[in-house]
Amino acid sequence: MDSIVQGTPGLRFLTVALTVARKDVRCELRGRELLPALAQFIVLALVIANFAFDVDLVQGPRLAPGILWLVLVFAGLVAFGRAFAAEKETGSLEAMLLTPAGAAAVFTGKALAAAAMLVACEAVLLPAMAVFLGSPMSPLVVATVLLATIGMAALGCLFAALAAQTRARELLLPVLALPAWVPFVVVGGRAVQLAMSGQSLTALPLAGQPLLVLADFDILFLVVACLAARFVLDD
Amino acid sequence: MTEDRTLTTLSAAAAVAMLAAAWMIFVYAPQDALEGPVQRIFYLHVGSAVAAFGSFALVLAGGVAFLWKDSVRGDRLARAGALVGLVFTTNTFVMGMIWAKPIWNWDPSQTWDARLTSTAALWVIYAGYLLVRRFATPGRPAMRLAAVVGIVGFIDVPVVYFSVQWWRTLHPGPVILAAGGPQLPPEMLLTAGVTTLAVCFLAGVMVAVRYRIEARRDEQEERAVAAQLAPSRTSAP
Repeated sequence: MDSIVQGTPGLRFLTVALTVARKDVRCELRGRELLPALAQFIVLALVIANFAFDVDLVQGPRLAPGILWLVLVFAGLVAFGRAFAAEKETGSLEAMLLTPAGAAAVFTGKALAAAAMLVACEAVLLPAMAVFLGSPMSPLVVATVLLATIGMAALGCLFAALAAQTRARELLLPVLALPAWVPFVVVGGRAVQLAMSGQSLTALPLAGQPLLVLADFDILFLVVACLAARFVLDD
Repeated sequence: MTEDRTLTTLSAAAAVAMLAAAWMIFVYAPQDALEGPVQRIFYLHVGSAVAAFGSFALVLAGGVAFLWKDSVRGDRLARAGALVGLVFTTNTFVMGMIWAKPIWNWDPSQTWDARLTSTAALWVIYAGYLLVRRFATPGRPAMRLAAVVGIVGFIDVPVVYFSVQWWRTLHPGPVILAAGGPQLPPEMLLTAGVTTLAVCFLAGVMVAVRYRIEARRDEQEERAVAAQLAPSRTSAP
């Protein structure tokens, strides 16, 4: 505990955030509740997409970018929703906020762990898509999805923390998070479409580079979410 | 009561301003050579969009005022702004679709314009703002959570505006604030200016009326709480 209390404010923030994130990841590794369910959800979603779109060799690669973002967005809703709902059910969030650790640091830790959960989902999703839909898995697709995960986790966790304090949390989280994620889906969707159709991004102008735009969104929404977290968690 | 009379006068003034704007749109402004009478939607479409963004700016300002200074008045302003902004976003949206139908040969199943989609996202964000108010614990918790949604939601407003430049769309770029000066004849520009001012004035009056309603509602709730507390106070030893 001494290492948490001591040090500069920046270091202290980082230590608290990492401790909270480590706690969440450890809980998940011991309980193994969310990850197997999410992996199953992803495979099921792909199977349903396969039947619903009647995917064949020609259609598969064309539909793949859309299916990728649909599955990712809904898996994100489940992962982020659970992150705060589980704490709320056991009342442990209040206990964490009673400690000298700042609300923003606790929030960052929870968001880090939830983002790691979504990255684990992506590790299932991308290979599964290559199997079910025959979509190519390029480094560009992986980079796009990972960059989008950061910003989506920041916003998703902010709204999940907010929704956990209301009566209809399952209803409110999608209503709040989905429209806020639209910029990520628009830019990320474009990048994945280009990458999966085998085009290179070098032809685009610098200001229109999807990865740079995604990084900009990440920075913007990370800062906003960290600033807003204090007001959401502060009862 | 004087406050109510002022509101009535302002509402009448807003109606007169809108009638004057209607005269300018249909009589004073020249007909567009290419698009014909449909182009006259432009004036109200742009005016409503400006009024909607202005109302959402009030939601932002009210939210900041509540979080920073704990101002209940700020929250009341945000409540009024969100509702009025939603009305004007709907207006912009519907008018844009009516305009796009003959000019772009628009069909929602064929064309999903980026601006259309991001405006829909904006609409849903503020509808979510009103939902948060309904589902959160009434009073200060609802105000606090709604303020956060209002502030984060406002960040979507510039994304809507710049999406035209960021991603290629059918929606035309800026006409009035274009780089080489306004690209409109002076009569059209004047009509656009007057209509935008009239619509913003109308939105302002609507916000004021809604603020008054919210203030009355708050007073009523306070009275109800006081009435419930009163008997227990007398029965206490």
